[in-house]
Amino acid sequence: MQKRDFYENIEDFLSDESFQKWVKGNDDPLNWSEWTVENPYRAKLVEEARLWIIGMKVEQTPLTNQETQKSLQKVWKKIGRSNEERPDKLIWHNTWFRTAAAVFVVGLAALLYYANLSSTQITTITYQELIKSDSNGLIEQTNNSDKPQLITLSDASSALLQPNSKLSYPKIFTGNERKIYLSGEGFFEISKDQNRAFYVYANETVTKVYGTSFRVIAYANQPNVQVLVRTGKVKVSSNQNIRNATLEEVMLLPNQAARFVRKEQLFEKILDITQDKPLLASTNTMEQLSFDFKDIPVKQIFKTLEQAYLITIDFPQDKLKECYLTTSLIDVPLPEKLKIICESLGNNSRYEMNGNYIKIISNGCK
Amino acid sequence: MNELRKRKDNSSDIALWNQLRLGNEEAFSSLFERYYSTLVNYGKTLMTGEDRVKDCVQDVFVNIWTYRYKLYKLNEAILVKAYLLSSVRKRIARLHHREHIFSNIKNIDSLEFLFDFSIEDRLIADETTAKKVEQLNKSINQLSDRQKEAIYLRYQYGLAVDQVAEVLNLNYQSTKNLIHRAILQLRKDFPISVLFLLLNFSLN
Repeated sequence: MQKRDFYENIEDFLSDESFQKWVKGNDDPLNWSEWTVENPYRAKLVEEARLWIIGMKVEQTPLTNQETQKSLQKVWKKIGRSNEERPDKLIWHNTWFRTAAAVFVVGLAALLYYANLSSTQITTITYQELIKSDSNGLIEQTNNSDKPQLITLSDASSALLQPNSKLSYPKIFTGNERKIYLSGEGFFEISKDQNRAFYVYANETVTKVYGTSFRVIAYANQPNVQVLVRTGKVKVSSNQNIRNATLEEVMLLPNQAARFVRKEQLFEKILDITQDKPLLASTNTMEQLSFDFKDIPVKQIFKTLEQAYLITIDFPQDKLKECYLTTSLIDVPLPEKLKIICESLGNNSRYEMNGNYIKIISNGCK
Repeated sequence: MNELRKRKDNSSDIALWNQLRLGNEEAFSSLFERYYSTLVNYGKTLMTGEDRVKDCVQDVFVNIWTYRYKLYKLNEAILVKAYLLSSVRKRIARLHHREHIFSNIKNIDSLEFLFDFSIEDRLIADETTAKKVEQLNKSINQLSDRQKEAIYLRYQYGLAVDQVAEVLNLNYQSTKNLIHRAILQLRKDFPISVLFLLLNFSLN
């Protein structure tokens, strides 16, 4: 008895590779021809299955070997770009080395623990340590000017970096996480991507979001780290790397904030930003402007954006004179705001972005 | 190392996969060579533009290498092939999702299956067969995208039902029903008389 003797329906035949081969006339080592004519019921099924295979041809040519090799080289190049130094397997895969490293790490941890117990000194994490631990090649932007600076990330999220602040981020986000590092203050608008969480590391805190806007204030020389939420939902936790991290987490909704007191390593949750004077002072135009537009001239919308992001928008005044728009641009990053406006204008309108200068190309609205 | 080089071409997928997880570059390259063409062809059924598809497949491999230490230990039940197909599908779905962020497509599984089955003309001997096959082919191409994709994966790549389920991100039972209902539908459109079959067959 063979497996095929129990075949009862088309599906069984279709999924049998040797049957497919036989039908296509390649070879017949299992002698399907003979097996088929052994009984009439079987013959009926086989013929039907045969017709199915004829009618289900998949016409796809395989790539050439050369093409595959070329692509493989491209992949290695991409890998090289995405993590500058590939973890070297030579030394790391040596068991002795790994054991030694493990002993060293455990020893070091114990030493640190006892050192800390005796001195009650609290570990702080600085921006420099954070970026050192990220092995992806990061780009660093420093804002030395006296005006906020706009940064657009590869996923079309935007960051408005305040003076005396630094932001490190990968040129292109790879994998299923988006991670950036902040020192100082920034207002972030993150593009939505349920599959890739976005993390802002700032001093001892980690802010995790999927798509929202919020402000993070984390200067190295200030006693607190503060996270203020404008839209969406945000999760703030302490960085796992700090000692006695009880892995505290704070969920924040719009108009709420969290203050991490670095000396005590504790979170304080503020339920209403407007009731908290020091926090209110640190919000600025961005939080106070409304991006909800109802039948507003495009010109004015651009003006609002210019104020909020401190950018210059150059647009054909005459052509857009008569254009009014009703749209809500809350909760989307600047590139998406511009995209939405251009799409609403229609007529192949588009924008070009060059740092803080944006040019709108349009022939007027529909 | 040298030993692996020698038996590179007949080592099993699982063996290569496990080598890859340990950081073996040759195992990675072998798997790439083995499946790149297949994955690109599959990708082309879900997205237009061959270059974009190639990029996507390459990125899947870049991620596999980058996160190699975090990869699952696959076993015989979850084929490496199914895992790769599923990764390509997810990546394309994500791209697709991002491109349509403004057009209200919420479901990331709303991928279209852009492929039509064709007819193996050289195996058709007479007019009657030609007509039947043509009708069958038409019916197959009229199935829903999901059904077509399931059939494609099941019979073109020889995936088992649970592996098709893995690729399509469905559970086993729904996948089984999906394929079963497709076949029933086709048979309804395409009844074959026993007499005709026997006659025709004896001619071959």
